[in-house]
Amino acid sequence: MNIKGSPWKAGSLLLLLVSNLLLCQSVAPLPICPGGAARCQVTLRDLFDRAVVLSHYIHNLSSEMFSEFDKRYTHGRGFITKAINSCHTSSLATPEDKEQAQQINQKDFLSLIVSILRSWNEPLYHLVTEVRGMQEAPEAILSKAVEIEEQTKRLLEGMELIVSQVHPETKENEIYPVWSGLSSLQMADEESRLSAYYNLLHCLRRDSHKIDNYLKLLKCRIIHNNNC
Amino acid sequence: MKENVASATVFTLLLFLNTCLLNGQLPPGKPEIFKCRSPNKETFTCWWKPGTDGGLPTNYSLTYHREGETLMHECPDYITGGPNSCHFGKQYTSMWRTYIMMVNATNQMGSSFSDELYVDVTYIVQPDPPLELAVEVKQPEDRKPYLWIKWSPPTLIDLKTGWFTLLYEIRLKPEKAAEWEIHFAGQQTEFKILSLHPGQKYLVQVRCKPDHGYWSAWSPATFIQIPSDFTMNDTTVWISVAVLSAVICLIIVWAVALKGYSMVTCIFPPVPGPKIKGFDAHLLEKGKSEELLSALGCQDFPPTSDYEDLLVEYLEVDDSEDQHLMSVHSKEHPSQGMKPTYLDPDTDSGRGSCDSPSLLSEKCEEPQTNPSTFYDPEVIEKPENPETTHTWDPQCISMEGKIPYFHAGGSKCSTWPLPQPSQHNPRSSYHNITDVCELAVGPAGAPATLLDEAGKDALKSSQTIKSGEEGKATQQREVESFHSETDQDTPWLLPQEKTPFGSAKPLDYVEIHKVNKDGALSLLPKQRENSGQPKKPGTPENNKEYAKVSGVMDNNILVLVSDPHAKNMACFEESAKEGPPSLEQNQAEKALANFPATPSKCRLQLGGLDYLDPACFTHSFH
Repeated sequence: MNIKGSPWKAGSLLLLLVSNLLLCQSVAPLPICPGGAARCQVTLRDLFDRAVVLSHYIHNLSSEMFSEFDKRYTHGRGFITKAINSCHTSSLATPEDKEQAQQINQKDFLSLIVSILRSWNEPLYHLVTEVRGMQEAPEAILSKAVEIEEQTKRLLEGMELIVSQVHPETKENEIYPVWSGLSSLQMADEESRLSAYYNLLHCLRRDSHKIDNYLKLLKCRIIHNNNC
Repeated sequence: MKENVASATVFTLLLFLNTCLLNGQLPPGKPEIFKCRSPNKETFTCWWKPGTDGGLPTNYSLTYHREGETLMHECPDYITGGPNSCHFGKQYTSMWRTYIMMVNATNQMGSSFSDELYVDVTYIVQPDPPLELAVEVKQPEDRKPYLWIKWSPPTLIDLKTGWFTLLYEIRLKPEKAAEWEIHFAGQQTEFKILSLHPGQKYLVQVRCKPDHGYWSAWSPATFIQIPSDFTMNDTTVWISVAVLSAVICLIIVWAVALKGYSMVTCIFPPVPGPKIKGFDAHLLEKGKSEELLSALGCQDFPPTSDYEDLLVEYLEVDDSEDQHLMSVHSKEHPSQGMKPTYLDPDTDSGRGSCDSPSLLSEKCEEPQTNPSTFYDPEVIEKPENPETTHTWDPQCISMEGKIPYFHAGGSKCSTWPLPQPSQHNPRSSYHNITDVCELAVGPAGAPATLLDEAGKDALKSSQTIKSGEEGKATQQREVESFHSETDQDTPWLLPQEKTPFGSAKPLDYVEIHKVNKDGALSLLPKQRENSGQPKKPGTPENNKEYAKVSGVMDNNILVLVSDPHAKNMACFEESAKEGPPSLEQNQAEKALANFPATPSKCRLQLGGLDYLDPACFTHSFH
């Protein structure tokens, strides 16, 4: 009878619901462990290994891109003189030698790296757009620019994961140097435009090397306890 | 006045120039910074190339300023790097910052500046070559030796903090080889080389490079001698082994060629096949039946017109007083004395064919009527249709004469079951029947063993003979065939003892009443003139069955006596009736298979004696 069966039905439904909820909880994703736990080190090691691989790759690409650009457009024309003090990230207080790097603390170090990476999102995007829009777009340079933009995004994601593992209490710091060279890239004067590209690629090459070196330092410090 | 001053000035200048030229002194040429290198990203050194010195001692100074600074600095260290160098120590070295430097050459006559050089330490990194290159030949047990190369990173490079990352590369070659073998070793400081040429002297070198930078110079070469051990350098041994094996193979081939067949037969002895004495397979292939059968001891196959004579010769029934087994004569019986004729002294039991009853049937005739005429057509037919192995002719009329009536039972039909080949040397089927007759008339109820082997042999031989048209010949031979007992469990007495026959009974002439489809012989006393029913056995009431073998005469004549117990006739009839269906089979093997089905029926109990139904026996060959 329907009337008599309904309490049973309701009870079974409730039981099913409760059991499902409990089961769902058990299959929830693993929580991010606080920094320092032995279990996290293994995962952190993988994250760092991956980050180092990416940073190494990005710098190789940037170096090649710069060499190709210089060889093709600006070699021997003294553009280097105008590239002095042209990087938008120079305002960041980044360590310039080993001693300075060892003095900076781990948390600041990580934040620094993340800031540099964040600051390059926009320049890379415009670089790709502008190179693609050139009349005789150099395919080699364009392809590398596209790849660098892609990998930098991935590296940023990885770094944010590392930060969340090592310093989960870190607040999201959105402050980073802003690049304002877009107008220079679009200048009509070829000399000025070339100079703008030169500066951009020069700075990209340097900053990618910086990030690579910093990550290798941090990896040895955090994962291997300065015993690489 | 003015003119004097001007001329005086010009004169002074010219004098000065003359003096200078006479001295050979000039201001220094323009120097050039040609190389800057950092071995560890913590210090770096720059070298310049001086210009002409102008004949005067020249001072060089290097000045620089860094990106983002305006203050000029001078080179902190001119010495460490050697002459015309500037070394920047740790405190003066910064990464990711451009250095703008130039060299100033000064002498008495003047000075000159080099061009500005923009240097970033980041991109001038080149380490020193690795140190302590150690090469060793390691020879583990049961494995090939390998080269174990070890080295250390150059000094002053900080790998532990991760500030610097080194990648290595080694190369090696045999001393006199032209090309190097290069291996990338990554970040490890040891390496194994597995592919080595034994007995050679190797050169090994190693170099390194930063993660982003220039390769170092190759380290000084290390020499290593690879020992030439026996296992690796046993070419001569292998060659000698190969030659030896080739020689041995040649010898074997030669031996086999010479004595091939005998060796093969020695290694693989031929499987002995069934032997039929006198059977020549070649003759069989040729299809010359006469020769084949003559070899076997058969005579006159296919049956000739005077086969009757043969049949006559084969069986004789003696009418004499002696209690001998009488052989059956179809024609000559009433008139002639019995003389057992031997078909052949051939002891080959293979002649025994289970078809003898059929033979009998073909040839069965009544002496009164005209057996020859009756049978001839049929017999003549048979050779024409050799394929019809079914020779039992229910229309056969009984043969006149005394034909032992046997009931065969079981599958082990053999024309001439040899009870004991070793004891009796059956030289003819005639003998065999004699023996069996003895067995049959042995002590009442005493079972006798009919050797299955004899039966089998006979069967086999008869089968092989049957393969061709020789079946007819065998049928001729096997007139006196009797059938072995299917039931092997019932032993038959060996015919060692010639048991005396039962009470002496008067001997009668017996004529073969008929040979029914089963091949059973029904015997009648001679005085009864019965044309016989070809179709079926008919009512045997009127017939006095001479189904009992009373004895065997010396002349191998079977002595048959009538059996007053006629109750077994029905039994006989049944068995006889069951015979025909099996006759339909044309294959001996199938017929053989049927035998076990009718052992009990083929076997009759007549007064305690076992009889073999020839019909069952015959089935095997139809």
